[in-house]
Amino acid sequence: MERTRGMGIRARIARRWENFGLPLLFFVLLVIFSTLSPPFRSAYSLISNFRFSSFIGIGAIGMAFCIMNGDFDISVGSMLSLVAAMGSSFLPKIGGVSAVLFTILFSTFLGFVNGVFVTKLRIPAFITTLGMMFIYRSLAYIYTNNTPVYIENPFWLFLGNGSVLGVPFAIILMLICYVVAFLLLRRSPFGRYVIAVGTNRETAMLSGINVDRTKITVFALVGLFVGIASVVISANLGSANPGMLGQGYEFQVITAVVLGGTALGGGDGNLWGAFFAAMILTYLKNGLGLMQVDSYWQFVAVGLVLIFAVALNRLKFTLLGQRQA
Amino acid sequence: MIKFLKLYEKIGIFIFFVLGSIFLSIASPNFLRGDTILNIVAQGTYGAVVGFGMTLAITSGGFDLSVDAVMALTSVFISILIPLIGIPFAILISLIVASFVGMVNGLIITKLRVSPLITTLAMMTIIRGVALIVAGGKQIVIQQKLFMEVGTGKTLGVPNPIYIMIVLFAVFYFLLYHTAFGRHVSAVGSNESAAKISGLKVDLIKIFVFVIVSFTAGVAGTIRTSQTLIGIPTMSPGFVLVAITVTILGGTSLAGGRGNLWGTLFAGVFISMIYYGLNLIGVQIFYQMLSVGIVLLFALFIDGVRSRYLETMRAKGIKV
Repeated sequence: MERTRGMGIRARIARRWENFGLPLLFFVLLVIFSTLSPPFRSAYSLISNFRFSSFIGIGAIGMAFCIMNGDFDISVGSMLSLVAAMGSSFLPKIGGVSAVLFTILFSTFLGFVNGVFVTKLRIPAFITTLGMMFIYRSLAYIYTNNTPVYIENPFWLFLGNGSVLGVPFAIILMLICYVVAFLLLRRSPFGRYVIAVGTNRETAMLSGINVDRTKITVFALVGLFVGIASVVISANLGSANPGMLGQGYEFQVITAVVLGGTALGGGDGNLWGAFFAAMILTYLKNGLGLMQVDSYWQFVAVGLVLIFAVALNRLKFTLLGQRQA
Repeated sequence: MIKFLKLYEKIGIFIFFVLGSIFLSIASPNFLRGDTILNIVAQGTYGAVVGFGMTLAITSGGFDLSVDAVMALTSVFISILIPLIGIPFAILISLIVASFVGMVNGLIITKLRVSPLITTLAMMTIIRGVALIVAGGKQIVIQQKLFMEVGTGKTLGVPNPIYIMIVLFAVFYFLLYHTAFGRHVSAVGSNESAAKISGLKVDLIKIFVFVIVSFTAGVAGTIRTSQTLIGIPTMSPGFVLVAITVTILGGTSLAGGRGNLWGTLFAGVFISMIYYGLNLIGVQIFYQMLSVGIVLLFALFIDGVRSRYLETMRAKGIKV
C-alpha cells in the first residue's frame, strides 16, 4: 500500500478501496445473498460457486494481461467454443491427457494468430478480434456440424469436476494459474514490458522493448488461459456446444478485469482484483438465479455492473490523480 | 500509386462490386434476371441501412456494437404493440424506443466517459436481456398480415425495402455532405480535441450520432420482423459484424473523419452478392459468418496498408 500522506480524504478513501474494496464487496454480497436465499448459504452452494468462478477467473488472467498491454480480445468466447469442441472431439481417439494438451496448445496457437494479425497487419485489436470472433465461432459450427460434443472421458471431466482432498480441482487450478500469472507479471521482465507497452507504446519502443513480440506473447497467453478455462467449463457441463458455449464470455471476462481495478487504457493492473471480481460476478449470477430472478435479468445485471465498474474506475483514477483511460 | 490509393477510398468497393457481378453472372445464368438482382439488393438492405448509421458513427470516431440487440428489441416491441395500437403507431413507438437506446448509449459515453467499446458491448448484453424480458423469453407471432407489406411487398415491381434504403441513403447523404451537422461529425472524428476547441458541442454531436445509429438499427429490425411476422428477441446475433464490415469495406476509414456513404451502399449489396454466391455453392449458413469475418479482416488489412503508406509518404514530404 502506498503512502497517502498529503492526499485529501477522498484520495485516501480511493486508495483504501483499491486495496480492500473488492474483498469487502464480495463479503457484503455473500451476506446479502445468504440472508435472502437459504439455498445460497449452504456449503455445497458456496463451494460449487467457487468452482464455477474458475471459469471466468482463469480467462480473466489472460484478459488482464491483454488489457494491461493496451489491447482487447473479444474473440475469447468463440475461441473457447472452438477449442473445446475440437479438443473434446478427439477424446475417443487420443485419450484424455493428449486431448487436453491439444486443446490448450491449440487455443494458445489461436491466441498467437490473433497476436500476429494485430501486430503485423496493424489492425486495431478490438476490430481484429471482432472479426476473429465470428471466424472462430463459425469454424466451431462447421467443424461440429452444429452438434454438441458429449464428454465422457474421466481425465477431462476430473479437471472440471474432481476434487483433491475435498477441494475442487478447478479451484486448485485457478490458484495455480494466478500464482504463475503473478510471478510472470511482477517478478519477470516480461511482466514489466507488458505494463510498459500498455502505458505508453512509443516510449516502450524507444526504450528498446520489442513491442510486437510482447504483444504476440500476450495474445498467446490469452489463448493459453482460454484453453484451460475451456477444459474446465466443458467438463463442468459435460459437453461442448459450438453455439452456446462461451456466449458472452468475452463480456464477462472483461467485466471481471475492469471490476478488478485494471484500467482500460492500459498500464498497471490488478490481478488479484480480477480474481475477486470473477468470484463476485459468479456469486452474483448464481445468487440471482437462486432467488428465482429471471435469468434475463442476469444479463441486464452484468451489463450494468460493467458500466458501473468502468465509471467507478474513472472516479478512482481522477481522485488519485492517475492517468485516465 | 498515391493517386490510386486515394482513389481507392472512393471507388475501391465499386471495383469489387463490378468484379463480383461479372463473376456471378458467369457462374450462374440466373443472376442476370431482374428478379434475382432485385432480390439480392433487397437482401442487402438491412446491412446497408445499419451500415449507414455505422458509417456515421465511425466517421465521428466511435462505433456501436449494440445494433443487433436494438434490432431484436425493436422486433419484440413491434410484435407486442401491433395488436394494441395498430401498425403505423407500433412502428413509430418502436423506432422511438430504438432511438432512446441510442441516446442512452450516447449519454453514457459522453457523461460517464466510458469508452464506446465497453458501453456498447455492455448495452448489447443489457438490451438483449431487456428484449428477452419484454418478450417473456418467447417469440411472438404477429397476426396482422398487412405488416408483411413493409418487408416483402413490392411497389411498382421493386421490393419495398429497397425504397426504404434509397430514402435513408438520400437523407444520410444530405445530412453528411450538405449540412453543418455532417461537417461537424467529420470534424469530431478527425480530431476531437480540435473540434472541441473550435467550439463544437462535441458531446451533443456524439449523442445525436448514437441516436441515429440505433434508429437505423430499429428500421432494419422493422424490415426483418415484417418479413417473418415474428418478434424474435434473439434476432440476428452477429449482425454487428456485417454492419461494421459493410462500413469498412465501403471505404470509411476506422480513423474517422471521412465517411464513404456510396461505398457503404455498394458494400451492402456486395455482401448480399457473397451470400448469393455461397448459396449457389450450397454451403451451410455458417459459412456466411465465416466469409464476412474474412472479408472484414481483408478490408481492414487494405485499409491499414493504405493508411500507413499514405502516412509514410506524407512524412517524407511528398504531396499526398
